[in-house]
This record gives sequence, structure tokens and C-alpha cells, in this order.
Amino acid sequence: MLDWLLDPFSGSLMQRALLEVLVVAVACGPIGVWVLLYRQSYAAESISHAMLPGLVVASLAGASLVLGATAGVLVAAVAIALAGRDERLGGDVGVAVAISALFGLGALLALSPDVPARLGELLFGDLLGVTARDVIEAAVLAAVVTLALVLAHRRLALSAFDRAAAPSLGARPGRWELALLALLAICTVAAVRGMGNLLAVALILAPAAAALNLVSRLPVALALAAVLGALAGVLGLLASYHWHVAAGAAVALAAIALFALTLVLPRRDTFA
Amino acid sequence: MPLDAPFIQRAIVEALLLAGLAGVLGSWIVLRRFAFFTHGVGTAAFPGLVVAAPAGVAPQLTGLAAALLYAGSVEWLGRTRRVATDAATGLALVAALAIGVILASDVFESPASVDRLLFGSLIGLSDRDLWLTAGVLAAALVLDLGLRRAWLAQGFDPGTARALGVRAAIADPLLLLAIVLACVVALDAVGALLVTAVLVIPAATVRLVAPSVPTLQAGTAALAAVEGVVGLWLAYELNIGPGPAIAVLGGTVFAVVAVVTRWR
Amino acid sequence: MAVIRVERLAGGYAPGTDAITDVGFALEDGTIAAVLGPNGGGKTTLFRALLGELPVRRGAVELAARPAYVPQTDRTRHDFPISALDVVLMGAYSRTPAWRRVARADRDAAKATLERVGLADRARRHFGSLSGGQRQRVLIARALLQDSRVILLDEPLSGVDTTSAARIEELFAQLRAEGRVLLVATHDVEQARRWDRVICLHGRQIAFGAPAATLTTDVLRHTYGDELVILPGGEQAIAVEHHAH
Repeated sequence: MLDWLLDPFSGSLMQRALLEVLVVAVACGPIGVWVLLYRQSYAAESISHAMLPGLVVASLAGASLVLGATAGVLVAAVAIALAGRDERLGGDVGVAVAISALFGLGALLALSPDVPARLGELLFGDLLGVTARDVIEAAVLAAVVTLALVLAHRRLALSAFDRAAAPSLGARPGRWELALLALLAICTVAAVRGMGNLLAVALILAPAAAALNLVSRLPVALALAAVLGALAGVLGLLASYHWHVAAGAAVALAAIALFALTLVLPRRDTFA
Repeated sequence: MPLDAPFIQRAIVEALLLAGLAGVLGSWIVLRRFAFFTHGVGTAAFPGLVVAAPAGVAPQLTGLAAALLYAGSVEWLGRTRRVATDAATGLALVAALAIGVILASDVFESPASVDRLLFGSLIGLSDRDLWLTAGVLAAALVLDLGLRRAWLAQGFDPGTARALGVRAAIADPLLLLAIVLACVVALDAVGALLVTAVLVIPAATVRLVAPSVPTLQAGTAALAAVEGVVGLWLAYELNIGPGPAIAVLGGTVFAVVAVVTRWR
Repeated sequence: MAVIRVERLAGGYAPGTDAITDVGFALEDGTIAAVLGPNGGGKTTLFRALLGELPVRRGAVELAARPAYVPQTDRTRHDFPISALDVVLMGAYSRTPAWRRVARADRDAAKATLERVGLADRARRHFGSLSGGQRQRVLIARALLQDSRVILLDEPLSGVDTTSAARIEELFAQLRAEGRVLLVATHDVEQARRWDRVICLHGRQIAFGAPAATLTTDVLRHTYGDELVILPGGEQAIAVEHHAH
């Protein structure tokens, strides 16, 4: 039994994959809790999908994926902000147009060259192919996000819980909503190498939704989300190794399975 | 683009049929703000598409099953009140994608086949696919004729909707079902991830300038037809699936129209 | 020495359209002032102007202290994973640097404040599971923790059960005895008569002064317009929509 758990991680490839997913989960978990509390799940998905062109260009140019992801996220954010603002269409229509157009652009750029970009890896991640450098990059980004969340904790809580009174208590809500989106973007950049831009959102939303179903105090939920994300990472990698399935997808499904388990538990006051 | 090749001819016919759907249903998707729902349904059909060939079943069928399973899950998750709708949608979607990926890596050896499912393909359209699309278009036209007043009322004036009685009660579920069917028949042409390229983007573009529903529907059908055919040509030249080409084309036209109309 | 002094205050949410105009009043230590007016008449706008949150503002506002604010309770998120004590602690956030935990003294003060509003036994309960009146008391406790000389309360008693309402009114009397200034937006004219000052707002300021002299039928009619219902026998009552808690 112990062998079944430990053998997969005896090689350096799997060890790097494990480190990568742990590091990413630690940042994505808490961010996911805030995303759910601020009701920004669509933003999380949108940023994630619309960043594809950035990833593709970086991949084709042989440049750092983090750089491409950052550029992609910036372009996506601007496009989504502009499109979402148009009152003539309302709500999600403009945003859906922006996301589809950008996503399509990414696919077009990826598929048309003679040597196409490895689109599958960009979409669904390449967890088993991460290098030491990738892990370090992810760790740095995760550290930035975690530190920022710790420092911003009270202001984020104020702005989410009581928008009306927040300014009188020391936090301007608009500013902190933007701050959260910026941190979400950084977190997505960190997660994209291992999970791919389509599956990253699983590590952001699922552990957080599970944690909020289980506990009733915010700091505990934030920590638990990180722990559940890490657990999903381990379970996913084990599944990938023993059953020969795609690693990123396995991690995503493990996270969602954990969330599904929390639905089975008796109803309590819920916060997701 | 070799216009005499049968596969190109079928692709063009499909594009024109889908343009009809874009006009009839895409307009309602935009007016009633169902864009994300549409995107979700298309994406969620992906795992269904993966198992179609190995199971020897029509992809439309398995795609439909997957899409209905997705829609049902989101509805059910919403009912439990343990998670908000937008989070439920995100979770169900990513679950569908992950399942699709795992099934695909066992089923397909080459990633290029997965690309076809995700982004559509010029080749491989059969006559059956065209008939299915035509059938859905016909059904959509009939539903539009009968339910357009209810659809309009439900979106803008629920009081009037109630006064319309029974019709109003089934109107929205039927609209959602029609959207699901439209997504399912659009899948082989534009792929699971870009159904919005044909069902949402042209309608959104025309919405920027069209004052009334009939104008919106007609204008969208026309624009979608042009974008569809030009997109096919672009896809042929670049040797990619039609989905990305139509999406980029549509997005560019949208951006231009948005900017120009804003400045007037 | 006025704790709040406002002169020729006007302003709103967009340039060109004023939500409130002609507002002017001065309030001393140990005063409870009612702000009366119909829904949409500008009560909340006035509060936002005093808090410095109104996008467009003209005129003079002098405040001896940064006000604490108790908004209408139905604006908070009842599904948030926090306890009643956590909510009260928010009152100390603005004086806690980001990298430090909330001070021991503030934690103790938070518990004491909850005690003061009669909810010490509910400290650990999930905030959203409390009754409307209890939530209102918790939000007042939060404002008390801010320890400001000026407290703005937006309809603190509407829809609140009688026990909670009685406790809250008692608390107001205590705060006034401590020398604080309370501005209370309310629909309850009879209650306003029991306090020190009234400000009548309907877009523009209709009147300001002691209730006995100020709350004439004429003033009330200008303030509430069609929403005014006069009972036979000369007594007056207001029929307006209440916010549910």
C-alpha cells in the first residue's frame, strides 16, 4: 500500500510534477475562496480562456511561457473590460464575444504554422513535462499571491462582506475587487504550465467550493482550500501514474471529486 | 478553395444552414443573454464527441447526451444551493473537459483528432450531418414563429409573459432546448469550443446596429453566411479547422462595428 | 462647539444632477438627530456626502471626527463565513496595520461591545443565521468599536423585532449621554419627536430644528408628499414602504 503511494514519486520527473502542483494549489486554493466570495467565477474562466494567444505566441517564439501567459492575460483583461462595458449588448454577451474571438485567435495561431504549437499542452497542461525552472517560476508567483492575500486579507473581507460600509471601515471596494482580479490573473499564469489554460480553473474553483462547504470561518476556509488543492494534486498524480491517464485532467477531476464529496455531507449554512 | 470538390460544397451548405440558425436562434441568444449558456453547452458536448466514433454512434447523439447531462448537472447543482450558479457552470464545464481529455487519451493516439473535435473540421461532413442541421433549422424556425412573443415578453416584461399563460411556461425551456440542438449540429463544423463563433458573434455584431428583432434576425443570417463562407476559405488556406477562422473573422468585424458605431 | 456643521451642501452621483440641495445644519455633542424623508429623498445620499463618498459634492462639511456608519442591514452578505464577533472586529480594521493581527485590546473591546448590545452569547454564531434585529445590533456594535464621536445609522429600526428595537433605543440614549452625535435616518416620525433634532429631506432640505417646533403638518406634507396619511383627531402617521430585514 505504501509502495503504491510512494513509488510514483521516486523519479525526478514525478517529483517535479508534484512540487509544481503543490505550489500551484497553495496559491489557487485561497484565491478560489475569494473568487467565490466575490462571485467572480466567470471572470476566472474568462481570463483563463482568453489568454490563449499569449501562450501560443510564446510557445512558437520559444519564449518563456510565463511571459506569454502574462501578456495574454493583460490583453484578455483589457478586451474583456472593454467588451463588458458596452451597454448596448449587456452583461455577458460582449465578454463572450471577446473570449471566443481571442480563444479562436490562439487556436488559429497555433494550428496554422507548418510546425504547429503543441496546442494540446497549452490547453490541458504538461504537468509531467515541467522543468525545475518552471517549478521555481510557479513558486515565486505563488509566493507573491500568497503574501498579497495575507496582507490584503482584511480589506478583501470588508469589501466582499459589506460593500456599503467598507469605505467607512477602511477599504474602498472597487480598488480591492480589481486587486483580486489582478491576483487571480497572476495565479492563472502560475497554474497554466502544469494544468493548461482550460483546466486551471478546476484548481481555483473546486477546492475552494469544497472548503466553503465544510467550514464556517473564513481563515479556515482559505487554509483548507489550499490543503484540498494539494490533496487533489497528489491524488491526480497517483491516478495518472497508476492508470496512465493525462496528469492535468486527473488533477482537475480529483479536485472536482473532492468537491462532489462535500455535497454528500448534510446541509449546513453554506457560503459557496 | 476548390469549389467543385464535394467536401467543400457540403461545408458551404453547412455554413449557410448554420447561418440560418445564427439568424433565428443567435438573435435570441443575444437578446435573452444566453451567451455563456451556449458556450457551456458546446464545450460540454466534447466528451460525448470523443466516444462517438469508438461507440459507432452519430456524434450528434452522444454530443447531445453529454450536453444534456451538463445542463442537468448545472440545474441540479443550483438546486442544492450549495454553490452559486456561475461557480456551478464553471465546475461542470471543467469536469466535462477533463473527462473528455481522459477519454481522448485512451481513444485517440494523435492529438490532431482531438483538435478536430475542439475546433471543427472542413472534411468529414456527411449528408446526414447536413440533413440534421437542416432539420434543426426547420424546427427553430417553427419555434420562433410560435414562441417569439413569449420569448420577447419573458426577457423584457415578465408580467405580460404571465398573461400569455401556458405558452410562457414552456417557451423558455423550449428556447434552451433549441439552443442545445443548434450547438449540437454546429459542433462538427466549428468544434466544441467555438460554437459561439457562429451562434453568438454575428448576432452580437448586428445587435449593435439593428433596432428590431426581425432586422436583427435577417441581418445576422446574412452576416453569418458571409462570415461562414469566408471563414471556410480562410480555414482551407491555413489548413486549420473552421472554428478559429470564423471566430477571428467574426471578432474582427464585431470590433470594427463596435468602434465605428460608438464614434457616430 | 459643533461636532457636525454643514452649510449649503448639495451634490449627487453625476455632474449636473443633484440628488440633494440646500442642506445646512449644525449638531452639538450629545445629540440624536433624526433624518426624515421618503424613499429616494436623499437620506442615504446625505450620509454618503458626510462620509466623503459622494462623487459630486458642493458646500461645506465640517466633521470633528470621521463618522462610523451603520448601513441598512440587508446590504451585507448573509452567506459570508464569519461569526458575529468577526463582524464586530471589523470596526478595528482601519486602525490595524496590514501586517499585524488585531490588537488584544481591540479583541477585548469587541467582546465588551457585543455584551453591550446584548449579544455576548451569540459571539461565535454565524452572522447570517442571526435574526434581522440581532444582525442590526451586531452592526451597531461594529460601529461602536470604531469609537467615533459621530455615528450615522441608516434606518436601524425598520423591520426589527421589538426586543431588539428597545435595546437599540436604550443604547442610543447611552451613546448620547457619552456625548456622541447620532444621525438616524428613519421613517418613524413619532420616534423622531422623542429626539433632539430633525432634518427633513426631500431632495432639498425642507426643515431643520427641534422636533416640536419643526414637525408641523405643512413641513411633513412637503417632506413626504403623497405618502403622508393624516389620521382623524389631528394625529399624523406616515405610510411608507419599509425595508425588510
